[in-house]
Amino acid sequence: MRRAVGSVPLLLMLFFIGHAKETRYSPPGKPKLTSCRSPEKETFTCWWEPGSDGGLPTTYALYYRKENSDAVYECPDYHTAGENSCFFNKNDTSIWVNYNITVVATNALGSNFSDPVDVDVVYIVQPHTPENVTVTVMEDKDGPFLRVSWEPPRKADTRSGWITLIYELRVKLEGEEEWEEHRAGQQKMFNIFSLRSGGMYLVQVRCKPDHGFWSEWSSTTYIKVPDYFPRETSVWILIAVFSAFIFFILTWILNLKSNSVKHCLLPPVPGPKIKGFDKQLLKNGRSEEVFSALVVPGFPPTTSSDCEDLLVEYLEVYTPEEQELILEEGKDLQEGCLKSKGSPSDSDSGRGSCDSHTLLMEKCGEGEGKEEKHQERAQKGKRQQKHQTGWEEGDVSHTREDVLSPDMSEGRVKTWPSVFSPLPQYSSRPLDHQGSLETARQLCLSDSLFPPPSTSSHLSYNAKEGLALGSGQQEFYLGKKQTHPSNPQSQPRWHLQAHSDFNISSMDRKQAASGLQLPGFRSTEYVEVQRVNQEDMVILQPLFSSSCQRDGHLQIGQGEDYSKVKGEDGDSCYTTSTAASSQVTGKPTSCAGTAMPVQEEMVLAANGYVDAATMLL
Amino acid sequence: MFSLPVWVAVLALVYLDFPIRVGTAAICAHGQECHAPSLADLFDRVIQQSSRVHGISSELHSDYEQYFFPSKNHIGKRKCHTYSILTPADKENAQRLGREELTEVILRLLGAWGDPLSQLHRSMTQDQNQDFNHYSSNKALEMSDMVHELRSGVTKVAEKMKLLGVISNALGYMSSPESLAPSSVSSSYERGDFNSIDHHDLLYCFRRDSNKVKNYLRILKCTTLPELDC
Repeated sequence: MRRAVGSVPLLLMLFFIGHAKETRYSPPGKPKLTSCRSPEKETFTCWWEPGSDGGLPTTYALYYRKENSDAVYECPDYHTAGENSCFFNKNDTSIWVNYNITVVATNALGSNFSDPVDVDVVYIVQPHTPENVTVTVMEDKDGPFLRVSWEPPRKADTRSGWITLIYELRVKLEGEEEWEEHRAGQQKMFNIFSLRSGGMYLVQVRCKPDHGFWSEWSSTTYIKVPDYFPRETSVWILIAVFSAFIFFILTWILNLKSNSVKHCLLPPVPGPKIKGFDKQLLKNGRSEEVFSALVVPGFPPTTSSDCEDLLVEYLEVYTPEEQELILEEGKDLQEGCLKSKGSPSDSDSGRGSCDSHTLLMEKCGEGEGKEEKHQERAQKGKRQQKHQTGWEEGDVSHTREDVLSPDMSEGRVKTWPSVFSPLPQYSSRPLDHQGSLETARQLCLSDSLFPPPSTSSHLSYNAKEGLALGSGQQEFYLGKKQTHPSNPQSQPRWHLQAHSDFNISSMDRKQAASGLQLPGFRSTEYVEVQRVNQEDMVILQPLFSSSCQRDGHLQIGQGEDYSKVKGEDGDSCYTTSTAASSQVTGKPTSCAGTAMPVQEEMVLAANGYVDAATMLL
Repeated sequence: MFSLPVWVAVLALVYLDFPIRVGTAAICAHGQECHAPSLADLFDRVIQQSSRVHGISSELHSDYEQYFFPSKNHIGKRKCHTYSILTPADKENAQRLGREELTEVILRLLGAWGDPLSQLHRSMTQDQNQDFNHYSSNKALEMSDMVHELRSGVTKVAEKMKLLGVISNALGYMSSPESLAPSSVSSSYERGDFNSIDHHDLLYCFRRDSNKVKNYLRILKCTTLPELDC
């Protein structure tokens, strides 16, 4: 029986071995010590990780050796710390002693030793979390703040100095992601400032020995900050209220004085001060109405009732090339336009009153514009077709093609503003059938300005040689300069000023076809300056003969009391009035009427005309 | 070149000044009543110093460990030369020891390390590994100096405690702390043929002993002056 019983284990073992071979049992795998930790530097625990168990129930054992001792001890406590752990209690724990720990896994087939690990308890301390974390809201003069206080973990003996812990806490607002961390050192209390009013804060604390591991964070403590009014905000509110108050006061004052302020900042725009100018009409935007309103019915006088007041003034320009007669008609100037050239010297010396743009026109409103327009046309070589709508030319036909129209005969006397200075004045006499006479301000040298051979078709005066105006090389500009660029001659030119609006009419005798007749002229009396006597008076004589006539020269009409003073090129018959400044040295050639250079200024009538009648005859 | 009276004056000044410098003068401003540092201040100072010493020793040891012995746990069979000094190995033993004995242990430990540390420094500077040892030898020198200072500091603390009657006068070791170290161990140091392994072991031992010193000082402070942050 015993033998049978004794053989049973043997059979069983054989059975198991046979089975084991079939199911591949193996010795256990190598266990591994994962970590050892001491919470208070008085006890410690080691954990291991089992290897494969080989399919068989495996037991684990921990063995350790202390430093400088060969005795091997086994773990006193496998259970307190849980599975796969070994707990060393106080009696078995020695600080500053090296433990050499090994774990052995054993199963039916064998055992396996782990790698040994050396542990010194001093360096594996990881305390528990701090306890009794309390957060309170406290008041300060600057506002509320949080006071966080805690206690060390229960087991850590800091009171005896055995273990020294340093603490760290972190705070964040509810809903935020980032924590704000603070080191608190060894103290057990901490203050947090700069809180958000009404915010909910989360606080956590942890600790660590001076050489060891950090504990886990304590459980979160919630604290709500009561609503408070930050002091800075109240100051800002005060400032805002004060500023608003000041602003309102300023606005009210500004309102009261709005008129004066407006006057100061935006001064009123001066309106036009034209007689008869209606602002309202202008505002309405109808320029025609405005301008028509300015038209005075009685003006310009169409009848020659008061011919003395008016002088027609026009120039004739002769362009031999084109055989054209360029007419430019002056416009009737109001008497008011007359500016008495009282000043003996033409301020624009060297320029006749032809260019007395400012002088002539200053009272004549829009007349200027038209004149300029005229001049432009003349430049192009066209006949001057000037008509001023507002002006009643009367019978003066300005639209002339090529001929000095009989309109000229209407007695428009062109008065050339003297180049230099007012020529001897002519008293304007009313012409019976003349149109309006304009009183030119000045007499102008005309002939001298005519370049008979000039090719220019525009109104330009060519100072020819012998021009009384001066040396041929001298240039005088009456007004706007309109030089024909193609003019090869470098002679100085006299340029008509548009506004002076002369009708330059040059008569070309040869242009019979052009019909440049001078019947009209005949009606006008032209006087030629014969000489200038010693008293610097221009002696005029009516120009009847054609001795001084030249081709293309304008004849001076007869029977007029006024003379158109022109200069003839190369010829006598210059009437020159020299401004004081200019040096006109006319070189009159043989001519019946030699022109005398006038050395001195002429006496000018008020109207600028040399009164031939008075002077000469 | 200077005249004799000038030399006399200079020498006189030097000699007169010398005793003043030798004697410990309290660093006090004029008119201010001089207070010797309190026991609490002294304790704080020595504890801070010991903490610094321990920090440097830890650094040095880890440097050596990384540089020479990358594989960890190479402790080997070393025996620290201070093993003969009986030190409390846990809290109860340390508290059971009492202040006087604890102070004595501290002083013993500090005394036992004075020479070996200077030898370590000397050995390090002579070592062939220029880069590493140059940097480390400075630390070793600093460590050695600090240990000396710490020792004198702890001595002052003990004197202060005796003055205050905290501990009794029954301390005899302070007269000759150098004799604490076991001669067998010190002789090996005096041999002077250190190598890197010796350095490493030495540093390991010193790191542990500095930790002991720091801990004992803290215990001493907290048992003597319990009201402060203990």
